[in-house]
Amino acid sequence: MTRSLLRTLLAAALLAAAATGLAQSEPAAGSSGSLTAQDVLDRVVENLRGVSQWATLELTVQRPDRTTDYEMQIVTDGDKRSLARVTAPPREAGQAFLSIDTNLLIYNPRLGRSLRLPPSGRSNAFLGSDLSYDDLAGEEYKDQYDATISAQDAEAITLDLTPHPEAPTPYGKLEFRVRPGSYVPLSLTFFDQRGNAVKRMTFSDFVEVRGKTVPERFEVVDLLKDGYRTVASWTGVDYDTPVPDRCFTEAALERGCR
Amino acid sequence: MTSPSRRPPRGNGAASLARLAWRNLWRQRRRTLLLVVVVAYATLAIVFFWGFTDGFLDSIMNAQGRLVAAPVLVTTEHYHGDPDPANALNDPPAVERLALEDPRVHGAAPRIDFGALLRSPYTMEGVLARGVDPTREGQVSDLPASISEGRMLAGPGEIVLGRGVAQRLDARLGERVAIDVSAMAGPQALGLRLVGLIDAGTPAVDDSTALIDLADARTLTGVTGATGVALDVPLGQETAAAQAINARLNGTVRAYPVSELLGALQRGLAAERIQMIPMGLLFSLFAAVAVTTTVVVSVLERMREFGVIVSLGLDQARLAWLVTFESVFSTALGWLAGLVLGYGLLWVLNLTNALGAFVTGFYGDLLQGLALTDQISAGMRPEYALFASITIALAALFSALAPARRVRRLNPAAAMRTE
Repeated sequence: MTRSLLRTLLAAALLAAAATGLAQSEPAAGSSGSLTAQDVLDRVVENLRGVSQWATLELTVQRPDRTTDYEMQIVTDGDKRSLARVTAPPREAGQAFLSIDTNLLIYNPRLGRSLRLPPSGRSNAFLGSDLSYDDLAGEEYKDQYDATISAQDAEAITLDLTPHPEAPTPYGKLEFRVRPGSYVPLSLTFFDQRGNAVKRMTFSDFVEVRGKTVPERFEVVDLLKDGYRTVASWTGVDYDTPVPDRCFTEAALERGCR
Repeated sequence: MTSPSRRPPRGNGAASLARLAWRNLWRQRRRTLLLVVVVAYATLAIVFFWGFTDGFLDSIMNAQGRLVAAPVLVTTEHYHGDPDPANALNDPPAVERLALEDPRVHGAAPRIDFGALLRSPYTMEGVLARGVDPTREGQVSDLPASISEGRMLAGPGEIVLGRGVAQRLDARLGERVAIDVSAMAGPQALGLRLVGLIDAGTPAVDDSTALIDLADARTLTGVTGATGVALDVPLGQETAAAQAINARLNGTVRAYPVSELLGALQRGLAAERIQMIPMGLLFSLFAAVAVTTTVVVSVLERMREFGVIVSLGLDQARLAWLVTFESVFSTALGWLAGLVLGYGLLWVLNLTNALGAFVTGFYGDLLQGLALTDQISAGMRPEYALFASITIALAALFSALAPARRVRRLNPAAAMRTE
């Protein structure tokens, strides 16, 4: 998952709470000092608003009986657009994914054409991992979450994001842990409606980039299935080379961009 | 001595032979009873055969109409050929008003059928969802009455699932299920609370049904009208009602009876009916042979008696007609008794739904996909009596050819010496 895609996922959920103003507008019990839940969310989103970059993503999909390693070339504008191309293993190489806002296009070299992923396919696992295409493109949950600070200490601020009854999510709650001070994401846990944690994203290997602290590794664990894990790491990140707009077109999806 | 006439007796002669034949039946009660029982059994078997066949096929048609499709569905021709919401009806209320003018139509309800993805925290399921008017859907469908847990939709924001779907999603009553749809205006999604579980008794329904409010379906699909209007029409009158409605419809909107909504299944059912015809004829043939053999044995047993009759002055030809009258009368008695028993059996089977237990217990999972529940009726059509009467006609024919021919060649002297 690229930083922009990750930011999109988190920001969509977090901005939802911020936009509604349902987070406490005044300091309340459990707030981070003088900061409210909304303030915390705003700072996390701002911290995640990255810069354009070229990068290599190494994705490892672990299952009880096998482990599959992928390598992808990523290019992003740091905001709402990104292009990812699988370069390894050979049987998957050539597949490409173009994300623009909430639209996701997929290119398969065997078909020789691009397809817009319909909603029926967006919840499918990305390359068989524990991530779904929805995780990649980011769902817009504006106006559909209530956010509160449920705990805080020197190590983490914990936000509980509770979806509204009509929210198009099957989860009962999202638990978002953030590092105080730098407001970097530490973990995002998905709970079902019975209070059971079903999936957890954990962020690590933080680096400083132009005054921002961002994770270079994240891990997704399926808490319901033993041995189901997906790990993604960024390597060879280039922030200096500009990313042209032509990289976010269907032509680039099929032929690449450099 | 004049030669025996092969022509049937007429006038008083025929009446006398008939009276004599009728009296002979009650002189030989045991023999008559045996023949009556054979014919009654054959008639009962024929009536039951057609009643079961028609009832089984009608039950499939009824289940398809009341649980899967609709007794009659009014939609655009384009949608019938390509079930894309883009081909939906623009003015469902106008269609409803026109359809309700037909006295056979007792109710109407709009629907939106569309493909959707249901998501729970654990997995996802593709379904063909249906947007319905909760206040009227019960008129045209048995699905609301099949809810075994929870309740029917009360308005937007809710969903009712087949129990099999809910189990695969691991969704419980009161929990939220996310639904994703590719709408005409782009992808849409909603969170809906599960309020009811359907147990129709057939996997074709329980493993695939998802009902939501019509307003939610319009939000998700972008359809402002409906993909179709379902009509409540009594079983057996769907085709006639659809034809009458089509005579008043304009443009590209048409009414389709359930038989035209089944696709390949309809062709299979039609083929099944055709295949039953030779089997039914075989039934009648076996029954006729049984009757004829019984008559033959009866004639052979009475050779001495016939010898006495002929020696007393009744010619062989009239004696042959006497034998024929006796077999026709006894066969007719058996036919009437068989009809009473046969239709009575079908009535009892309908009352107790014994066929449902038998069919589901015997066929089990082989009938999946037919939407057949454990409620299976038996047909009770008057034409079964006509089919059974073929037995009488064949019996009369065979008795004229074989036993009557034997009697016609009777030698009285030889016959009276028969043991």
